[in-house]
Amino acid sequence: MKHFILLVSLLLFGAETTLAQQISIKVADRTTKEPIVQAHIKDGENSVITVTDMNGYFSIELSKHSHITITAVGYASKNIHLQPDTEVIFLNPEIFRDQTELLVVANDEVDQNVHAYHNRKASQGMDEFLDNIDGVSTTKRGAFGWEPAVRGQSDQRMNLVIDGMQVFKACVDKMDPITSYVESNNLSKLQIDKSGSGVAQNGTGISTVNLVTQKADQSTTSFDLNTSYRMPDQYRTFSFIGNTADRSGRNAVRFSGSYKKADDFKAGNDQTIENTQYEKLNLSINYRHTFPAQHSIEASYITDKAYDIGYPALLMDATKALADIGQIKFNFAPSERGFSLNTAQIYANSIRHSMDDYGRDVANRTVMRGMYMPMYGTTTTYGAKLNGAATLFDHRFDWFIDSFTSDAFGDMLMESLDPNIQDMLIYNLDEVKTNNVSFGLRHRVDLFDNVLLKVEESIRYKNLRTDSESHASFFEGLYGEAPGTRSKFLLSGSGSLLWMIDNNWSLSGSLVYSERMGNHMELFGHYIYNYTDGYFYDGNPWLKTERSVNSDINATWETARHSFSFTLFHKQYFNYIDGILANDAGNNDFRFKQYANVGDAVITGGEFRSINDLGMMITLENRISYLYAQNQTLDEPLPLIPPLKGNTTLHFHRGKNMLMADLEWAAEQNRIAETSSIEDQTDAYGILNLTYERRWMDGNLTSILSLNNILDHYYHTHTSIGNIPEAGRNLMISLSYQF
Amino acid sequence: MNIQTLFGRIMAVAVLLFVAASCNTTDNNDPEMDLIPVNSVTVDGYTISLESPKELEIGANYLYWKIKQGDNTITPQSFTISPIMDMTTMSHSTPFDQPETDLVDDSYLSNLAVFIMPSGDMGSWTINFEFTTQNDAVISGEMPVNVKSSWKIMNTQDDTGKKYFITWYEPQRPMSGNNDLTFLIHTRESMMNFPAVSDAELVVFPYMDMGGGTGHSTPFTPPVATGNGFYEGDINYSMSGLWTTTVELVVANDTLPEVVFEYSVIAK
Repeated sequence: MKHFILLVSLLLFGAETTLAQQISIKVADRTTKEPIVQAHIKDGENSVITVTDMNGYFSIELSKHSHITITAVGYASKNIHLQPDTEVIFLNPEIFRDQTELLVVANDEVDQNVHAYHNRKASQGMDEFLDNIDGVSTTKRGAFGWEPAVRGQSDQRMNLVIDGMQVFKACVDKMDPITSYVESNNLSKLQIDKSGSGVAQNGTGISTVNLVTQKADQSTTSFDLNTSYRMPDQYRTFSFIGNTADRSGRNAVRFSGSYKKADDFKAGNDQTIENTQYEKLNLSINYRHTFPAQHSIEASYITDKAYDIGYPALLMDATKALADIGQIKFNFAPSERGFSLNTAQIYANSIRHSMDDYGRDVANRTVMRGMYMPMYGTTTTYGAKLNGAATLFDHRFDWFIDSFTSDAFGDMLMESLDPNIQDMLIYNLDEVKTNNVSFGLRHRVDLFDNVLLKVEESIRYKNLRTDSESHASFFEGLYGEAPGTRSKFLLSGSGSLLWMIDNNWSLSGSLVYSERMGNHMELFGHYIYNYTDGYFYDGNPWLKTERSVNSDINATWETARHSFSFTLFHKQYFNYIDGILANDAGNNDFRFKQYANVGDAVITGGEFRSINDLGMMITLENRISYLYAQNQTLDEPLPLIPPLKGNTTLHFHRGKNMLMADLEWAAEQNRIAETSSIEDQTDAYGILNLTYERRWMDGNLTSILSLNNILDHYYHTHTSIGNIPEAGRNLMISLSYQF
Repeated sequence: MNIQTLFGRIMAVAVLLFVAASCNTTDNNDPEMDLIPVNSVTVDGYTISLESPKELEIGANYLYWKIKQGDNTITPQSFTISPIMDMTTMSHSTPFDQPETDLVDDSYLSNLAVFIMPSGDMGSWTINFEFTTQNDAVISGEMPVNVKSSWKIMNTQDDTGKKYFITWYEPQRPMSGNNDLTFLIHTRESMMNFPAVSDAELVVFPYMDMGGGTGHSTPFTPPVATGNGFYEGDINYSMSGLWTTTVELVVANDTLPEVVFEYSVIAK
């Protein structure tokens, strides 16, 4: 493969001149132009070659290290291909880390520091990882496809993107959050913007989770094999990762794949939870070419195929969930010109989701009794993103343009067991189009030496329509007016302030204003079943703009060995979009709601995180989060809000051995929505997990033994729809070999 | 502009020109009229043709008449019809309007006829016609027609035995989404006289039986009288499948026994 890449690169781009000279390069802050001291210059991800001196300089031999990674505390890391004429490399300050948090998932032990989350378990899936981040919870419908929620906000109230790409789930029952289409072995990092203050980039001002995928490394050739087995659910997985590059480092390819399959799991007390099986295949490839002028182009493709996925909380199971996600991205070389481009990206993705209840006892259920209901949904999205920087009146700012168009379809066939009943068909979404374009600006201002201000603003034009006459006519009949194309200009803005009080203390805060138009299901959904309240929902094309104001304040104390971070936030919603009872057509079997602006709502809460190096190779982590959410119109709690919860992890690391004990806990949740939902109270729980990891063969072979829910506790989380319990005691062994 | 872009644009223009040239815009001066022949008879050198948008069935039908002498379509001074069902032992008519020059295509005379029973063993339909030409010749004849059965008309009666005919006027092809919901109400004054009833009230209820003892209705606006026996509302079918619509007719505060229309709604 390596030779093939080399041959292709020679044919396409010509032979590169061998670099064999020592050069001196300065690393500087892009904003202040001040030199950055003690920046780490790495060969790839792990090996530190050198560090910058007091003047920000380092020397390097180009023939050995043509491609490097630069990291420095307080700055975004940068991968760069060196040129003989490279003199200065600028790093972007990562100053508001509590608003735009960088979470390293698949890092090695050497990369762990107080600013990053540990890779808690090398074999841990995306769902479990998300569920243990403070301020993040997951809504569960079974063992697969947990839907992430940031500070109690999910689905339409958060951005969930892959490499910045909009990907819309195809299942109207929310079985396929897009986190299910990225495997953790293909994930570089999670960027979580809890407050939504990154409005210039996210375009909306709402909480954002960006799944940043791994890209081809231009300096290494490697191959990783990983396999795991867990009992009693017979979970087995096999995955591989390969990376190769030609000698010049200009052409690199990374590819990965994974296959996993699980049978029904057992909850505590040896209770088998039927219909929790799944099977999944994921493949990805990334190619990167770096041009002599330091521009680079990369092309990525992910295909994900999941089959036979049981959803015990739902009326049906998924038979196929298919995703094809592709992108081409051009990275421009750093430039200090008055107007410059950073990246240009085009992408396309297609999601298809099929589910049915042929394996269920439909004759005796309470909802949609006596019929099978195969459902199909698909979304197709095309998008383009462009960003760069510009200088105007001596003021340097970043700009972002984001546009996409998406087409959604969903239907449900109903086949009665009674042969005298004709088949019935509903179009949940029919030719529903979403178009969006946004333009955002980000400004950084140094108010004082230790006080930084960031201001972002965004204007967005969004429209939705259905091109299906019959689908449109349904809403015309419901509301007495043809929906046509629903268009809105949406504004959002944020201001963030960071005060570095001293070398240890920092205070930061942000204020975010956001406007949100209902999404395609809120405007044009038809008979979409909501499992949290048992109602069928119809869209409302005439929804008013939902507005929110979010305020955050964070205090952080950090030393080289300790980190404490405490955040409080308050989010006020106006024109909150939710379901209200429909006037007619309902009965005990079928109850209907329509989306409407129901008034105001509030979500407030806080998060605490500490990471402490206790010496003796022991590290202690604590994460706690709490949410208070209230529908102020109904004067009752919002549904699916997790209670006070947290986890405590103790790491013991010595030589080739690592032992980790982990306590996950949650308080009882008595604040429940009884009018807008049918949820019930949830008991408190505490779960103890243990993981032992050992490296063999000079670190090339790693074995991991995990024993989870050691006490075999039977419990469920408050965000588990249908109160489906969590897994009971289980044992998992993983082997990973790298060469 | 590079050569590929130029070539692409040339191809796009060529395709557009081809499509435009392929469109035949001369042979149908009335694209909304999509009629099928029902029957025709020739009397005294005049050919009287009957066409309709669909095969005739019980319920509401629009009849389109054309009179030709040779190849020429003629416009008569007057044209009247009288549908008669011959049941051997008796005969009767049905609710209908007299033909008038069609507003869309004036080469036709058109009228509405509500057939209250199908052709078959019970009897057969004949439409008697008479017209006066421009030179005052009076021509008359009869045209047998076949009327199929359908679900679109029901009848009920009051305590005195007076019959009321409830005709499902539209939607003719019920479809998922919003549909105009229109009924026609006629009563029987005599075997030959079926006047429209415009002062009644309709109570309707659509319902879908989903089997297993479950079912549901769908949003609708109750039809109200708009004159000439028409009652207009709308119905918003949430899904395709087999639906029923129960109709109660209230005449002079007397609620007559309900009738039930059963029909299929198509997806689109």
